[in-house]
Amino acid sequence: MMAETQLAILFTSIALVVIGLYAAIFVDNIIKKIIGISFIEEGANLFIVGIGYKAGGIVPILTPDMDPTWFASHASYPLPYGLVLTSIVIGASTLAVMLALVMVLYRKYGTLSTSVMLADTSKQEEYNE
Amino acid sequence: MNELIPLMVIVPMMAALLLSAFSKYEKFIRILALVVAICLPIIPLLSNYGLHYFGGYQPMTDNVTNIIYHPAITYSFNFMQQIFIGMIGLLTFLVVFIYLTKYKNVSGPYLFLLFMGTAAVTALLLTDDIFHMFVFFEILALAQVGIVAASSIDYSYEMALKYMILGSIGSPIMLLGIGFLLAITGTVNVTDIVAIIRGGLIDATSPVFLLSLGLIFFGWLYASGLPPFHTIKSGIYSKAEPHGAALLQSFTVISMISIVLIMFRIYSTLPIFEVLIVLFSVIAMILGVSMALTQTDFRRMIGFLAVGELGFIGLGIGLGTQFAITAGLFQALNEIVITALLFIGFGAIVNATNEVDTRKLGGLLAYHPKVGIMLLVGGLAMAGVPPLSGFQSKLMLVQASLSCGFPELSILAIMVSIATFVVFVKTFYSMFLSPKPHDLEVVDKDVPKAMVFAMFVLLVVIIALGLFPDVVTSGISNYVGGLLL
Amino acid sequence: MIEFILMIITILSAILALIQKDLLKAAILTGFSGGALAVLFQILLAPDVALTQAIVGAAIVPVFIALAVKKTQRGDA
Repeated sequence: MMAETQLAILFTSIALVVIGLYAAIFVDNIIKKIIGISFIEEGANLFIVGIGYKAGGIVPILTPDMDPTWFASHASYPLPYGLVLTSIVIGASTLAVMLALVMVLYRKYGTLSTSVMLADTSKQEEYNE
Repeated sequence: MNELIPLMVIVPMMAALLLSAFSKYEKFIRILALVVAICLPIIPLLSNYGLHYFGGYQPMTDNVTNIIYHPAITYSFNFMQQIFIGMIGLLTFLVVFIYLTKYKNVSGPYLFLLFMGTAAVTALLLTDDIFHMFVFFEILALAQVGIVAASSIDYSYEMALKYMILGSIGSPIMLLGIGFLLAITGTVNVTDIVAIIRGGLIDATSPVFLLSLGLIFFGWLYASGLPPFHTIKSGIYSKAEPHGAALLQSFTVISMISIVLIMFRIYSTLPIFEVLIVLFSVIAMILGVSMALTQTDFRRMIGFLAVGELGFIGLGIGLGTQFAITAGLFQALNEIVITALLFIGFGAIVNATNEVDTRKLGGLLAYHPKVGIMLLVGGLAMAGVPPLSGFQSKLMLVQASLSCGFPELSILAIMVSIATFVVFVKTFYSMFLSPKPHDLEVVDKDVPKAMVFAMFVLLVVIIALGLFPDVVTSGISNYVGGLLL
Repeated sequence: MIEFILMIITILSAILALIQKDLLKAAILTGFSGGALAVLFQILLAPDVALTQAIVGAAIVPVFIALAVKKTQRGDA
């Protein structure tokens, strides 16, 4: 039972990372690229939460009526959860910065296509000359 | 005074937040930025060596296995950190000084980005915690993107967005690598991970361990701008304001060495790790120099040369002996200073002519003799001409690769140095010595005094390090000896 | 059992978000995926992470994307 859930978590996180990588590399629309990047981040977060998960365990909050030894052997591992909290917030902030840059660039190019917006800049300079 | 260790990160970070919050009060942010910038190089000089445990959680000994665990985020401060943090502080001071004197209207958010980047690389150098490293790696990427996007050069937004997209692919991949490492060791403290691996508690040849190396290595390649990220890295240097580029390249060098030293401590038992580093460094050296040769934009050229120089650092660390790693770190210190000098000097030229194409420039030595001569010395130092600092570190690298039994690598290093020399002299000739083209209008205004002052300070550092390398190398060598134990 | 359903919802809405022609629908489906992930975190014994993910993944991220779409264009051209 334990192995099944953990395997499913691993599979889901890898699937999210692969879907995100596919979108970030091959999709032309910049907003979809950014959505893809947010999926990569979600996949990584899910994987790290999966590390701390203990099947049949309890939430790692120690209340006064618990025996500490029993708690230590039953609680899931809280360190990865702390890391994921930070990582989620970082992901949201990078997403916001990227979307802000996209909005500025849309005003200049009038399109969301990466092949126009982010073409090789040296070529753009030659084209302008 | 060990209390000063966290202050090295906290002071620039608090200054950044205050500058951003009070950006309306122009006079206040000018004074605050200058005061903090002066403090930055002084704090590491006053601080004692030692460890700092955040929250005061002391290490605990496991009674059963006798392994010491570090529950707190740990900062370790040693000679290597002192010299690098002092240098980055000096550079930040010079850059902030140039920025404050160059513009009438000072922007608080821009100063925020400069100080935030400095805080991030300082934390990267100090930290002994692999997740802490990841967090500041992300903050550093955001600060770099901001510095690029804030410049007034054409296409800076495009470059910033491209860098950001690559970065946000690279950082979750690095996070996955950290996750794998956490899954097999159960801790994020580097000292604990090393103790677990050395103690044989995990199988160092397991595929999960190898996979975590691959994923963190990818993040490192992105942070340090080694191939396949060399084009984007040189691109962001050329799209940032010159003083910003001087700071950006130092961020790159420091994030490169701090991440690679952490990786070295964890993965040095795997033979493939050193092969990978040497391989990518060699590719970076060759690609950097050969692409610099074809550039006509001199900012782009310095960018590619800087990437090529990164290869030398990686070469030293990849060889893996005490002498080689010392040489690599000394090369990193020299590169920070030399490349900063070149970016600031060429920035002064852009300031005076509004032209970045070397084909359209010429005869500038008559107009700006001081800048020209200082640039020449800087370029010679980069190419490794005695008795400047670049020579000392490259000589050490060549000796190291010979003594490790790789004469091919030392020949390659010498050839890349010669090619660097050719690229630099070619550019210098066409900009300063060749006859002035008729259509070139040299704006008759002086180079800002702050820029000349900054270049002079950096030049003194270059010559001093070239004449007395032992001051730095003996201390770094001791530190590296401690790592290799 | 419910965790497997949530995992399938997460992956399916991720794929659906990327094949939408309408970017606003893509933003909403991203929120779906983030919300399902938040419930999944709760089941995986991480209530603090679940709260953060519910706010960030199910509300802030889709709203940001929707705002960006509103300021730019809705179609995937």
